[in-house]
Amino acid sequence: MRTDPAGPLVAADGVSRSYVLGAARVAAVRDVSLAVRPGEFIALQGPSGSGKSTLLNLLGLLDRPDAGEVRVEGRDGQALSENERSDLRRDRFGFIFQTFNLIPVLTAEENVAYPQVLAGADAAARRERAKELLASVGLDSKADVRPDLLSGGERQRVAIARALANRPAVVFADEPTANLDSRTADDILNLMRRFNEAYSVAFLFATHDPRVVERARRIVRLHDGAIESDVTT
Amino acid sequence: MSAFALAWRSLFRQKRRSLLMIAVVTFGFASFALAGGFIAQSFEALKEGTIRSVGQLQIVDRRAVGRAEEATLEFGIPDAPRARAVAAAQPGVAAVLPRIDFVGLATVGARSIPFLGIGVDPGPEAAATLASGLVVSGKYLSGDGGEGIVLGTGLAKALEVKVGDRVTLLATTPDGSLNAADGVVEGFVDVKIKELNDRYLAAGQKLVENLLQSEGTASKLVVFLRPDADEAKTAAALEKAMAAAGFPVTVLRWEQLATFYGQVKLLYIGIFGFVGAVLVTIVILAAAIVMTMAVTERTREIGTLRALGTRPAGILRMFLAEGVLIALTGCVAGTALALVIRAVLNASGIMLPPPPGASSGTPLHVNFYLLAYVAGLVAMLATMTFAAFFPARRASRVAIVDALTHV
Repeated sequence: MRTDPAGPLVAADGVSRSYVLGAARVAAVRDVSLAVRPGEFIALQGPSGSGKSTLLNLLGLLDRPDAGEVRVEGRDGQALSENERSDLRRDRFGFIFQTFNLIPVLTAEENVAYPQVLAGADAAARRERAKELLASVGLDSKADVRPDLLSGGERQRVAIARALANRPAVVFADEPTANLDSRTADDILNLMRRFNEAYSVAFLFATHDPRVVERARRIVRLHDGAIESDVTT
Repeated sequence: MSAFALAWRSLFRQKRRSLLMIAVVTFGFASFALAGGFIAQSFEALKEGTIRSVGQLQIVDRRAVGRAEEATLEFGIPDAPRARAVAAAQPGVAAVLPRIDFVGLATVGARSIPFLGIGVDPGPEAAATLASGLVVSGKYLSGDGGEGIVLGTGLAKALEVKVGDRVTLLATTPDGSLNAADGVVEGFVDVKIKELNDRYLAAGQKLVENLLQSEGTASKLVVFLRPDADEAKTAAALEKAMAAAGFPVTVLRWEQLATFYGQVKLLYIGIFGFVGAVLVTIVILAAAIVMTMAVTERTREIGTLRALGTRPAGILRMFLAEGVLIALTGCVAGTALALVIRAVLNASGIMLPPPPGASSGTPLHVNFYLLAYVAGLVAMLATMTFAAFFPARRASRVAIVDALTHV
């Protein structure tokens, strides 16, 4: 269900999330409201513990808020069943992780094709899509290689290709450059920016990396779990 | 990439551990298949031996059911030759053997030993039963038996007789008087049960009728059926035909007569059921440990798969598929192992000790019993699925955020 095409893809409305740490309850995100619109390239910035990853997880339906609501294309994420949330993540979201998180027993092509397997695409279609994506990230020659034989940069390229496999509306990237050297990080960011511009897919980063902030068109700064500033450049 | 394809690849992550688990299933399955084959062979042999001894069906006087005779042939079937002819004419009947049960005293010189006697029609008896195969010295009765008698080895030893010696038989007739007849030892038999060997005596029907002065009366008629005959239907038809011919009899099936068979079967089932339960427990424990380790090691990966849109049931399926694949691989290897061990055991010539009550052992033989292999496969699949279920369920319920940050 896609309601208003001009409306937000994902929106947090007054969300809070806290965790129990030992005997104490720590508020990771406090009463945060944030909307992500089509084609945005947003950096969530802030010091460690400011709630960037927690907010990313809440918006990506990986976690549930203690209070407030997260709406995905108008649908209340809280009201959805676990299966419906899984299906939404599969069809509308892509995820890129700091540690790449590729499936070690699958080849690069199989990793990229995996979300399409979940979506029920036929073998020929998903093979074609995976090859196309691997070519677009410059890894067409490594289609049959398993992740352990790829460099860090190559793994992250495969992860980007995988995130785009089902033509998502939003890609959530949690510190995607943290484990990469400077040059590779630049390449990866340029690649994501290229996809953002070419396909209007929104990117939301949780990052410390100033290079990400430099490229972002919107910078949301978090401090102690609350939005300190939200600037569109 | 189905759950099974992903599961198959996952087995190669920790090769040594997967091999160990497959080895556990392999040995478990092979034990199941071999034990099953051995039990089946034992049951089959016991059933065959029982039927060859007591017959597939027995026709007895209605009064004899559940009661012991106070006098010889008290519940005998009169006009036994005509009754035998009526029974033999029924469809499905292969042979009808008259039997006369009696007790008496065997005397040689100053030695007198009590015996349990059986009067038979020697030719058909030798053809249909194991009687002639039990002869260890001399020969079995032939023709109408004449004066011939066959003794259990224990009785022969106690009487200190050899083949060709004469033995005087003393027995009580149905009217209570004492009668005697001479018999000539034709051979000795080993009936496999020591106590019976010490008392066993078989003689031709004519000699026994002469001794008991009971011409034409039999204690029972033992019936053997054709291989394609339906036991229950033939029993019912026999009872009806015999009643119509004026014989007030009951037809008993072999399982009703062979209480020993039922007891031994229960004993075997108890022993092997216990061993089977131990085997299954070992496999469950080993599999649960292996699957729990797999889930723990792959927690972050589970988080990734869930983040990408895999439903909880998909994670559950993936780990259950691993359990099923381990079971299937183990069962294939276990089949090969069982067949090799079976061939080695059957060729080894190992003799099993005599079972309780028996006087001689039998060579070890393990049958290929398909049902045991199928049951082994089902047991291993069920065991592995059960063992994998709880770790798999835990994996499917793990919080995605916790899983993604798992170290």
